[in-house]
Amino acid sequence: MAASSTDITLLVHKPIDRDTLGAYVRGDGDGAIVIFDGFVRDHSKNRRTLYLEYEAYEHMALAKIQEIAAHLHIQFPIHRVAMVHRLGRLEIGETSVYIAVSAAHRAAAFDACRYAIDTLKRTVPIWKKEYFEDGSVWADGELPTVPSAPSATSTVKPAS
Amino acid sequence: MPSVSQSIRVKVLFFGRLKEIAGLTQDSLDLPGEADIESLFTHYASRYPDLLQYRSSLVASCNQEFAPWNTILHAGDEVAFLPPVSGG
Repeated sequence: MAASSTDITLLVHKPIDRDTLGAYVRGDGDGAIVIFDGFVRDHSKNRRTLYLEYEAYEHMALAKIQEIAAHLHIQFPIHRVAMVHRLGRLEIGETSVYIAVSAAHRAAAFDACRYAIDTLKRTVPIWKKEYFEDGSVWADGELPTVPSAPSATSTVKPAS
Repeated sequence: MPSVSQSIRVKVLFFGRLKEIAGLTQDSLDLPGEADIESLFTHYASRYPDLLQYRSSLVASCNQEFAPWNTILHAGDEVAFLPPVSGG
């Protein structure tokens, strides 16, 4: 499933250019843009966070992000999607993930943006390590759901 | 006489804490034909016993798609062991 050719889906190793992405999804036929801007918090479970490091299975992560963007167009009446995740070391307050969705009407933009970030957090192979004054830990994550049969050989078709 | 099963070479990737335990990000391994992802993991768990405790909190992928542990591997497959994801 390929993302719409007008979507932007990226993994980046430098600060995310939020203004450009927000402006990119905006069209004359739209009436709303919903943006999710996820950034680095200064604490985690009552410990002071110094910084985070993100790593990814980049090839697969980008493909999964593109699948999510493509799915948004099927499920919601939206116009454009920008989905960008940053990797490497991020300081407090820096944006790690940015998702912008434009649509003619706000409900679709809200729903699609929520679906996009929730699905990204459950399914995209990206990992976050939290650094504290007295050590570091891999953040608790979510285990993606895996199809029960090998995907390459399990094209199940309805009986009729 | 049974046919001799040919060995296959697969690429294996480690991420997050698995990478730290194994001390490597990727490896190339020859396996007997008909081997599945589970047996591949068993191989690495015997080499790096600390991996074993994470078996129940991992998923695997084959050629960049999430894959069940009983997926039969083929020559050239790229397998990755993936801890719980924590992007965002």
